[in-house]
Amino acid sequence: MNGVRRREVAKRIFAYEFNRSTHRIKPEEDKAPVYVLTPLGMRCNRVFVVGALLDKDEIKPDSGIWRIRVADPTGAFFGYVSRFQPDALESLMEIEPPELVAIVAKVRVFERDGKLFVSLRPESISVVDSETRDYWIYETALKTLERIKRMELKKDEDCKLAWQIYSPNLNEFKQIVRQALASLKEEFELIEESEEEIEELKERREMEEKEFDKIKEKNELEEFEEDFEFEEEEWDLSDILSE
Amino acid sequence: MKEERVKQLTNQIVELFRRSGYDVDAKEISKRLMLLIYEFKVPESEAIKTVKNWLIKELEIPKERLAVESPLVKIADITKPGQWISLKAKVVQLWDSSSPNVSQVGLIGDETGIIKFVIWAKSGKGEVEEGKSYLFRNVVTDSFQGRMQINVNRNSEIIEIDEDIQLPPREIEVVGALVAIQQNSGLIQRCKLCRRVMTKGICPIHGKVEGYDDLRIKGVLDDGENFYEIILNEENIKALTGIDLEKAKQIVAERLDRNAVLSELKSKLLGRYLKVRGTKGGRYLIVSDVEFLKGIDKAEVEKLIEEVAA
Repeated sequence: MNGVRRREVAKRIFAYEFNRSTHRIKPEEDKAPVYVLTPLGMRCNRVFVVGALLDKDEIKPDSGIWRIRVADPTGAFFGYVSRFQPDALESLMEIEPPELVAIVAKVRVFERDGKLFVSLRPESISVVDSETRDYWIYETALKTLERIKRMELKKDEDCKLAWQIYSPNLNEFKQIVRQALASLKEEFELIEESEEEIEELKERREMEEKEFDKIKEKNELEEFEEDFEFEEEEWDLSDILSE
Repeated sequence: MKEERVKQLTNQIVELFRRSGYDVDAKEISKRLMLLIYEFKVPESEAIKTVKNWLIKELEIPKERLAVESPLVKIADITKPGQWISLKAKVVQLWDSSSPNVSQVGLIGDETGIIKFVIWAKSGKGEVEEGKSYLFRNVVTDSFQGRMQINVNRNSEIIEIDEDIQLPPREIEVVGALVAIQQNSGLIQRCKLCRRVMTKGICPIHGKVEGYDDLRIKGVLDDGENFYEIILNEENIKALTGIDLEKAKQIVAERLDRNAVLSELKSKLLGRYLKVRGTKGGRYLIVSDVEFLKGIDKAEVEKLIEEVAA
């Protein structure tokens, strides 16, 4: 490591899988990026999300810290934007929810009452059209299915670790992918048979979201002792060196 | 059996010296090899070295002459099989070896091209790593199924070098989301002398000089597996947003802010899926064609749904 790290790829992940990610992979060396291991065995540090921005609320008057909620067909992502993310904050101020947005974000993990929660720390937020949203759902479904397959084969160390920690019900995740894909079609009759299951999932999800709400209301402000991560693009000297 | 092996080794040595312009006595070489290998049980490589050293002394060959045993060539120049050559190249890709006789197989490249390489297990040479650059000394060109390749044998040497060999520009097509637009994008100024991007009217090489306006974007395209640093020029930007240099200058004049152009471009492009074609040389993908990704294929969605159901 010579001080400059390679940029982290922005992973595609549905809210359902994201919100169930509670395992943090500790960096092997100082200042190395922190990864969250998802129930389907993927490490992520940065994500790319497209969904409906439903709320933006300043968590305390004049705190300059905004909580956002962004929904995809499988659930909702939570995120916090503050003056440490000037680009994201600037665009957020101009957006009135509900609106379709694309968000590039770092994954933040915080602990409350011994439980880990994940949230987004957006780097950029932009208003997009429904075509972008549709493609994101398609692409994310594809990648989630790939992960499910790798989990079935227990292909690598991260998959094995995910089995150990989460022992996920892969059918549940398949159901979620199916639901997301179905939202891309006008007609919904294809999923009728599994509607019951989906109802069940929905209920469970709502309960989980409530739990999250309760927890995050506790001293949210504490979360804003920023740790800075430097990546290549922030120290882009290529123009000076050569062109 | 013994005779055959000795003959083979003798021929290699004779050939090696002939390339440097020396005729050597094959009979004498065979005699010495036979003695060293089968009588004294010396390892082959040591025997060869001993015979070579003896010849060098005998013929009074200057050391530097033999240091360049095989000529250093570029990959594009490899056209004939059976040549002894040396080359500096980067390991582009390692393949799975299908045969126990092959220790490593894959592709190496330099700025002129890419070629297959085979390291024979018998050569006893160390392993190479993807992405690292090496000097491959004394390797033999070969032709396999109509394509050129190089073989690493026991007389070859592989030496890691502290040099990043550039690969030839490759034309690639990528579909991904534009996840970042970096600084020095938008309406920029370039130095009139060297075309470099100037910061606050100062060229990194020529200092305070006259500049000219240009429109470009340095951005990051991310497909969820990899990222590509792309450069969009005025033409690309116009194709996507309708904003060209004139329009950009107009925006600046209206809002009295040079950064207004960058904000405008960010709001039009960030988070969008782009389909990009261009050449990747070093760090950047220089874009030739770019367009917004058009919708999804309904048939593909159906297929996926069926796959999940199965």
